Amino acid sequence: MALTRINIGPVHPSTHGVLRLVVDLDGDTVVDVDTRIGFLHRGVEKLVENRKYMQCPPYMEKLDYAAPLSVDELFVATVEKALGIEVKERAQYIRVVLLELQRIASHLLWLGTTCNDLGQLTTGFMWAFMDRDLVLRLLEEATGSRMFYVNMRLGGLVRDLPAGFEEHANELLDYLEKRLPRYERFIEKNPVFIERMRGVGILSKEDALDLGVTGQILRASGVDYDVRKDNPYYVYNKLHFSSKHAVSGDNFARYKVRMLEIGESIRLVREALRTMPEGDALGMPVKLVMPNAKNRIAIVSREAPRGEELMYLVADPQSAYRLSIRAPTFINLAALRHIARGCRIADLFAITSTLDFIMADVDR
Amino acid sequence: MTGMVDIYTIMQNGLNSGNILVSLVFLVIYVIFVLVIMSVFAYLFGWIERKLIAKAHYRHGPTYLGKFGILQNLADLIKLIAKEKVAPKTAYPVLFSLAPQLLVALTVFLVLLLPYSPSLQAANIGPGLLVVFVLLGFTPIILFIAAFASGNKYADISAQRSVLLLLSYEIPMMLVIASTVLITNSYNIQALISMQERGWLLFLMPVGFVIFFIALLAELERPPFDLNEADSELIAGWLTDISAPYYALYLFLDYSKVFLGGLLLSMLFLGGWLGPSFLPPIAWLIGKAFIVALAVIMVRITMFRMRIDRILRFGWIWLIPLSLINLVITYILFV
Repeated sequence: MALTRINIGPVHPSTHGVLRLVVDLDGDTVVDVDTRIGFLHRGVEKLVENRKYMQCPPYMEKLDYAAPLSVDELFVATVEKALGIEVKERAQYIRVVLLELQRIASHLLWLGTTCNDLGQLTTGFMWAFMDRDLVLRLLEEATGSRMFYVNMRLGGLVRDLPAGFEEHANELLDYLEKRLPRYERFIEKNPVFIERMRGVGILSKEDALDLGVTGQILRASGVDYDVRKDNPYYVYNKLHFSSKHAVSGDNFARYKVRMLEIGESIRLVREALRTMPEGDALGMPVKLVMPNAKNRIAIVSREAPRGEELMYLVADPQSAYRLSIRAPTFINLAALRHIARGCRIADLFAITSTLDFIMADVDR
Repeated sequence: MTGMVDIYTIMQNGLNSGNILVSLVFLVIYVIFVLVIMSVFAYLFGWIERKLIAKAHYRHGPTYLGKFGILQNLADLIKLIAKEKVAPKTAYPVLFSLAPQLLVALTVFLVLLLPYSPSLQAANIGPGLLVVFVLLGFTPIILFIAAFASGNKYADISAQRSVLLLLSYEIPMMLVIASTVLITNSYNIQALISMQERGWLLFLMPVGFVIFFIALLAELERPPFDLNEADSELIAGWLTDISAPYYALYLFLDYSKVFLGGLLLSMLFLGGWLGPSFLPPIAWLIGKAFIVALAVIMVRITMFRMRIDRILRFGWIWLIPLSLINLVITYILFV
């Protein structure tokens, strides 16, 4: 049987950016997928070496443009560790609030694009984006910007939370809690959705560990590993939440874990806002960063919305000597070939969408 | 309204007059009349579809051109027609440019073939139902040719899918039509509708109605069966390499096929032109077709796209046995 080789992307409605897939098809069945990346490589790690520390966060945010705050915070936290700077307690709480709101926004974006990839005429897409926009509006209230925030400073934040933020946040969270069952009714009660997600694109526990995937993909395969739980940072060990995991490792498990995580994040934000201490949350002004690097090497990892993001920094007093980023999406994307072998061509896009990659983060 | 009715009566009389020449002139007028109705329906359907989907998305839809953006589709049409015609090197040029036109011609022919009232029709064909559905069965075959003629690999996959789709919905559809024929004892559409004066077929065999509606969605290539042009998988399937003027033709085809489908469903199950006499029969028929079209839009808004192997399984495990059972029960009850 002759194989058909088709080229998908880098410009294709379902590749979420500039991913190129070379797919060998036997009829409708995928025999092999070759992932070609690098269309969005910008050499961020090298760029950082030529800039002062606090000139870098804007570059970092463009890595994961669906969840910029998480990368922003990770970079600043890495520098803080290298320079030995303590984060103020109120700032820690605020960072948790912002990160979790960012996680909600990121998961909603993922939900929308997944509906689109499954051929649902953008209804789910529009709904999820509408709700995501409300979250972004709240983040704008807190940071002054809608998409790219650059809101972290060493030891704290650019600004404290504005007056009335807690009220607005609680209003939004109530609304989102009402919306989540609607999504479930709309999506999970749809037999076609269940048919296309359940039992499709299975990644076993052993394979998930071997391939080094993290985040929801690892948790959906039955490994309960969450950096927020296993290696807690900031005030995560003071707050009450559970890391969600599933066992089946298929598309549906990955979908379900993300949906449950939105609920957990809502609870986390509520609790963090309630227990937040009064005090000062402002970080150092940009120009006053002291050249007093203590640790020469800092490694910091965070549970980003798309998996465990890790930064390795060799510090110089004024700027990074070398920065290396472990992008979770890069490693998660590498699992695509393993998962997609033997699936149908239509399922290939269901799998790519549940792997939830951001090409800017993959290519760096 | 009275003027409308007068024209309608004159045309009816003209079409049925004994003189060949008069009949021919009126036939031409009739063709233009039906084509105008079809085009207006297709145009309005396109606009209402955009508006309704926008409503479901919490958007506004077209607003700028005309009242409520009603001229937007016209503007799109003009833009598409004004563009350049391009054919890829790998395409077979004759078939590639001929296929969309053939499809439109087939649909228009079918629309002209259907009766619009007890006497308003081009020709009273004895086995009209059979003719219509046999001709309708050619659509996926022309699609298949069009897809292969474009020489695109996405289109190739789309071609394979359209044949598999044909295998899964055509049989239950014909079985349902067979059971309607069992009730009416005739393949004639006129006879079918006049039989429904006692009660719509919808109430006589609801299962058949559901099966026919599902098969109709597949026939029209509407979601969740729009696998030929699955935008998130195959970019646009057999339309991937098609250039703008042909795409305009395709859009017209898409909308007018909904008109055809609505007519067929309302004739088979919803009593065709039967209704209280304050409206002319043709208004009832088109009104019912419009309600069917709205249902088609509603399905489009909510459903996810099915996978081709699942459709085959669904067709063979559910639709065919159910339509067979429907046939047997109809036989026991009515014959």
